[in-house]
Amino acid sequence: MNHFIFKKGCIELLPFPHIVEFGSKKNTNIQFNSLKASATDLLRLYYVLDGKFEWIIDEQHFILYPGDLAIILPGQLLGGEKDLLDIGTVSWLFIQLKELALTGKLIPGKWSSLSDIESRAIGKLLILNNKPVLSKLKEAGVLFHQIQQELFNQEIGYTTRTNQVIDELLILLARQLTRQNDSRRDFPQTFMKLENTLRENLSHPWTVEEMAALVGLGTTAFSERVKSYTGFSPLNYVINIRISEALKLLKQKDVNVTDIALEIGFYSSQHFATTFKKLTGYTPSEFRKKNIPNK
Amino acid sequence: MDCIITIDLGTGAVKVSGFDLKGGIIGFTKGSYPTFHTKPDYSEQDPEQIFITMLYVLKNFLNEKIHPKKYKVVSICFSAAMHSVMTTDKNGIPVGNAIVWSDNRAKKESHDLIHSSFGKILYNATGTPIHPMSPLNKITWIKNNDKERFKQAKKFLSIKSYIIQQLTGEYVMDFSIASATGLLNIHTWEWEGDALKHAGITADKLPSLVPVFYSSAKLRKEYQSSLGLPAKVKIIAGSSDGCLATLGGGIWGEGKATITIEDSGAVRVMGKKVLKDEKQRFFNYLLTENNYVSGGPTNNGGAVFEWFAKQFGDFKRAFDLEGCMEHLIDDASKVPVGSAGLLFLPYLQGERAPIWNANAKGVYFGLNIKHEQQHFVRATIEGILYAIYSIGKTLEEHRTINSLCVNGRFASFPFWAQMIADIFNKPVNTKSDSDSVAVGAFLLSATEIGIYKNLDEAAKTVELPETYLPTRHHHNVYMKHYAIFERLSWKLFDEFEAIANLQQKQS
Repeated sequence: MNHFIFKKGCIELLPFPHIVEFGSKKNTNIQFNSLKASATDLLRLYYVLDGKFEWIIDEQHFILYPGDLAIILPGQLLGGEKDLLDIGTVSWLFIQLKELALTGKLIPGKWSSLSDIESRAIGKLLILNNKPVLSKLKEAGVLFHQIQQELFNQEIGYTTRTNQVIDELLILLARQLTRQNDSRRDFPQTFMKLENTLRENLSHPWTVEEMAALVGLGTTAFSERVKSYTGFSPLNYVINIRISEALKLLKQKDVNVTDIALEIGFYSSQHFATTFKKLTGYTPSEFRKKNIPNK
Repeated sequence: MDCIITIDLGTGAVKVSGFDLKGGIIGFTKGSYPTFHTKPDYSEQDPEQIFITMLYVLKNFLNEKIHPKKYKVVSICFSAAMHSVMTTDKNGIPVGNAIVWSDNRAKKESHDLIHSSFGKILYNATGTPIHPMSPLNKITWIKNNDKERFKQAKKFLSIKSYIIQQLTGEYVMDFSIASATGLLNIHTWEWEGDALKHAGITADKLPSLVPVFYSSAKLRKEYQSSLGLPAKVKIIAGSSDGCLATLGGGIWGEGKATITIEDSGAVRVMGKKVLKDEKQRFFNYLLTENNYVSGGPTNNGGAVFEWFAKQFGDFKRAFDLEGCMEHLIDDASKVPVGSAGLLFLPYLQGERAPIWNANAKGVYFGLNIKHEQQHFVRATIEGILYAIYSIGKTLEEHRTINSLCVNGRFASFPFWAQMIADIFNKPVNTKSDSDSVAVGAFLLSATEIGIYKNLDEAAKTVELPETYLPTRHHHNVYMKHYAIFERLSWKLFDEFEAIANLQQKQS
């Protein structure tokens, strides 16, 4: 692949305000301070074509080989092991996402044709992922090459095609991330990880699609597996965790019932009270009174 | 029509079953809850989540299987995993999570005690082996290492005690669960003063001791209405999963032993007397007066085979772990008895009975260039069952065993059941589709309401239609291999310790 760099503002990128930089470089000599650790507000993707790169991403050490894809999220640091760019060939794509919140909420921007649900699932995967390097992902190289072809040749429909390929790239890496979970081999362990995620984000309005995407299964297969493993449907399992958290919070004196309801993911205190009473026979306030006699 | 509900608070899930008064199963359902391992050696569960899961599953079960068919619930009988400890404060609110049986944090407390003559006295008095699993050591650990929690603790409870207290308001502990705490004198049926003193607590910090038939606690009004149960429904304290699996397994009487293989495993016998073992290798748990359940537990049951399947199973052929294990068992059946001289010590999680060596590790031994993948599969299963056999063999020093009953998820695979028959050289009876813990809880409830005169009569009603007879020739081959297995298990003591130290440093 040739050496080229498109940067925001150049003519080729005018139809693509979300692409901040797209380039490829064959690095033949070592220059000091050529890759010092820095963070941006962009999603940065690097694909290695040749050579061996020693990088520190988000405070973890990685050695990248040809075929590897590095994902650097907005706010994460990327730098060379010795602050320099090693010898080899690498392509990169920097994208300005409209939003990628720590909760996993992802809005790519108008250019993308991913649905809201799909974007949210991809966002969750990106945020929860702690392995920023996906190894041996040759398909990513093919997609990088396609983007380059579209931008160089500018044939009819190239803006649509380019954006489609970027979507495809996001889908590819999301799928690869879910495959790493290897949920078929060890569903209990996969489920344990999911359970931790649910607990950490209990106020999030979880959907089955999102949970299924997190463990890399289709919704039907996911629901079946959860049902046979836990005895509950995925949504009922979440309610189960919510109510057990509620029991604990209600036994603490200083949190009011509405705050508890919202904190554990019910959309109103009525919704919370109805669900709670159905199960326990007590309203949340009665339950609290029974358990804290002094109040 | 009248019916009986049983609730088993197991290691990873609660299982609710319904029986008609003749013992016919109406249905069952389960709900799982997680075990948290926040530090190495820690295994904890959230008592509130267990409670809510139990309530949720029970409510659904009643609404789907019981109420629509107009069954009238006479009683609800509990069983639970042994050895759990949790604490509640002066308002009855849990402080921290429950520490479950598999938790190993009390290693030091256990080690100190086992090497003292006082430890031996306590074992003889309480019947519970000195081990980190024992609530005696767990409470001592809290006293030594979590002073704040110890100070705040108004009560030290088992998970089952907490669940019953939430439902009825009463703090009770049945004699079976109590006899697995290391705190109960199994000869006098009272808390053992020396053990309490050692743990730094007094009897008022523990629940009231009650017989397994205890049914005076009343279900709270709110739960009567939310569950749709009558006010007079009996809440029966019940027993432990180990004791009830033995009752429900139908091994009552002389000359019989029961083998349970779930994730872990156990070999148990029933007796009218405590089984006294100089080397402190066996537990003695109480079911009712003059009914002692004695035996030895292994850490390395089905969990080891699951480990093997996850690591080496072929997931291209199988949709999930269950399917994968079935394929592996198929493979194993194609290899001759004895796996062509490949031996496996299954001590991946250390071992309890009979070697009681927390440092023990897994070993494949005797490997040669002709061994193939399926030899490993068969050797793995054989190794797990040799470990079970080593417990049975030690038990035979005290009791005569003529026949076996096997139960549990793994023991009821026909291939495993046949192998048990061959290794032990004894006939094996089983009923692969029944849950012996639930059956045991049913028999207990049915006896309590007078359907059976006593537990002896109740146990005789258990039918075990499937029989596996030993093949003498296979037994001889297994015994030649077992001799080496047994020697290796002891011989590697120093090496186990050395490698355990190395692994500890690396983790």
